[in-house]
Amino acid sequence: MDNFLPSELLARLGEIGEADIVVGIPSYNNAPTIGHVVRAVSAGLEKYFPDRKAIVVNSDGGSKDGTSEAALGVELDTDSLLLVSHPVHPVQRISTPYHGVPGKGSAFRTIFALARQCKAKACVVVDADLRSITPQWIELLAGPILEREFDFIAPYYLRHKYDGTITNSIIYPMTRALFGKRVRQPIGGDFGLSGRLAARYLEKEVWETDVARFGVDIWMTVTAIAEGFRVGQSYLGAKLHNAKDPGADLSTMFRQVVGSVFVLMETYKTVWQGVQASEPVPMFGFPFEVGVEPISINLERMIKAYGQGVSDLREIYESILTPETLVGLGDCARQPHESFHIPDGLWVHVIYEFAAAWEHRALDREHLLQSLVPLYLGRTASFVIEVRESTAAEVEQRIERLCSAFEAEKSYLIERWAAEAGKEKTHAKSV
Amino acid sequence: MQSLFDRAFVEPFHRLAEQLGRVAPAVVTVLVILLVGVVVAWVVRRIAYWLLVAVHFDRMVAQTGLAGTLERTRIFRSPADFGARVVVSILWLLIVLFALSAANTRLTQEMVAQFVAYVPSLVTAVLVLLLGVVVSKFLARSTLLAAVNAQWAGARLLAGGVRVLVMSLAVVVALEQLRIGRTALLVTFAIFFAGIVMAGAIAFGLGARDLAREWLRDKVKPRTPEEEEAFRHL
Repeated sequence: MDNFLPSELLARLGEIGEADIVVGIPSYNNAPTIGHVVRAVSAGLEKYFPDRKAIVVNSDGGSKDGTSEAALGVELDTDSLLLVSHPVHPVQRISTPYHGVPGKGSAFRTIFALARQCKAKACVVVDADLRSITPQWIELLAGPILEREFDFIAPYYLRHKYDGTITNSIIYPMTRALFGKRVRQPIGGDFGLSGRLAARYLEKEVWETDVARFGVDIWMTVTAIAEGFRVGQSYLGAKLHNAKDPGADLSTMFRQVVGSVFVLMETYKTVWQGVQASEPVPMFGFPFEVGVEPISINLERMIKAYGQGVSDLREIYESILTPETLVGLGDCARQPHESFHIPDGLWVHVIYEFAAAWEHRALDREHLLQSLVPLYLGRTASFVIEVRESTAAEVEQRIERLCSAFEAEKSYLIERWAAEAGKEKTHAKSV
Repeated sequence: MQSLFDRAFVEPFHRLAEQLGRVAPAVVTVLVILLVGVVVAWVVRRIAYWLLVAVHFDRMVAQTGLAGTLERTRIFRSPADFGARVVVSILWLLIVLFALSAANTRLTQEMVAQFVAYVPSLVTAVLVLLLGVVVSKFLARSTLLAAVNAQWAGARLLAGGVRVLVMSLAVVVALEQLRIGRTALLVTFAIFFAGIVMAGAIAFGLGARDLAREWLRDKVKPRTPEEEEAFRHL
């Protein structure tokens, strides 16, 4: 692949030479928070990897609020770090605009290319809007790569029980059932990866697709698992951050993330169809209890959205779902709001039937994903009602049960995946 | 007596036989063409069906959203069946034109010439209608999904309106191509379109006052983050 980095950046990298660690911070209008992130990253590098040469790169999407200046202008008070040994190499800082489709994926692409250029052994990416990042995050994300020869380290956060609902209801159970690895936060956003995995990502022709937007996190995780790289996860505590992208609505985020999972199912169908069960991945860090930000929800609105979807989108669902699933969804829509419930088995069938419909192009793919949004809102409402009084541990057990349902029904997915091809053959025989 | 008999019966018979003799080869040719046409059409239909199945035509049609419409007609077994029938219908049209041409009379020649001259308009009109069906269906579904995800109460009505509007436009353009009642059609469409706009405005203003108020409020004064749902989905 050609090197697409701008010539000024290449010249700067030429001056710096090779590096052991590259920490990338993708940003867009994050001036209020990026200073804290750069400070934490620099402190982490100096404290935990004093003998390693490191570069912190801010890959910016054309911020108008002085994000780049904020990233470069951070002063680090090294005295307050209580360093055991002083850094051999000062941490280098670079801020560069990325090119290509606007989005986090394009920013990552620039960071990976920079890591490849510097022959970095480890690359860490962290969000620019983090308020809970500490220097130890860098040790936890880069350490297993440098010291234990892991290729991919996913984050493991404690989150509020109503936070990360796409992860909890679709992405985590699907990733686990499909590829057999229990990576709890597959779209966490902060990762550590080896230089060879970063180079592998750059070889892929995905940078003009939804992967270049919100889909990049799940794409990185699944690619690492499906291609047999060594995968682990690190306990980082709580993740406190600003909203992902104030300009992006739920439908867009949902479409890009879930669409990326369906695309990955097509790409690695020979891999996931052979996976029978799931196994835990090695965990690094020291789990501890931590307070999380409370999240407000509007249950009525979600249940209403579900009801309207089931009623108004019936014709669309008829071309995606089996009659049994459709009847099940209709029954749920008639329940009183206070006891509204979508059972795990029904939800698993909904997701698997949508995945099969995606594969068989039963409908325009954009429309297919948009039509899943009301059902997702219904399932989220059902989950919230169910865990309203539950503790964090109980919620985790509840998610574990859902994951088991996804794994138990995997044969159904394989069956549905092959069903449409069979249907065409039946038509042919009937002439 | 003999000459009277000849003039009354034999000569007309001879004339008839002579005329039939002149026409007979053409009639036989027409019959042969039609009979061969039956066999060719049967074979072509099967080949067309198999080819359409082989190229996953059903799946392609399903993506446009027309598969459901075809299914609801209860005439066609599948989109591939529909496609094969269309191919055979076109083939039959060609066979009939060929047969008429083979008849070689002034009337049939004129019919064939007129029809051939009309074919480009006919093909254009059919294509416009097909495009109208596909585009109206796609736009209606896009509207429906956007409206449902925005939780608008009249989502189906809005989608139906979009579909009717696009199809009306396609019909008018198709009829215009066929040179059927141009002026009357344009006037009718103008009245119809104006009516829809007016009805929509009245419905939006009176029937959907809350929606209008909400929409205008969002335009004039965007909601504060506190008013937005704080739910986090990723």
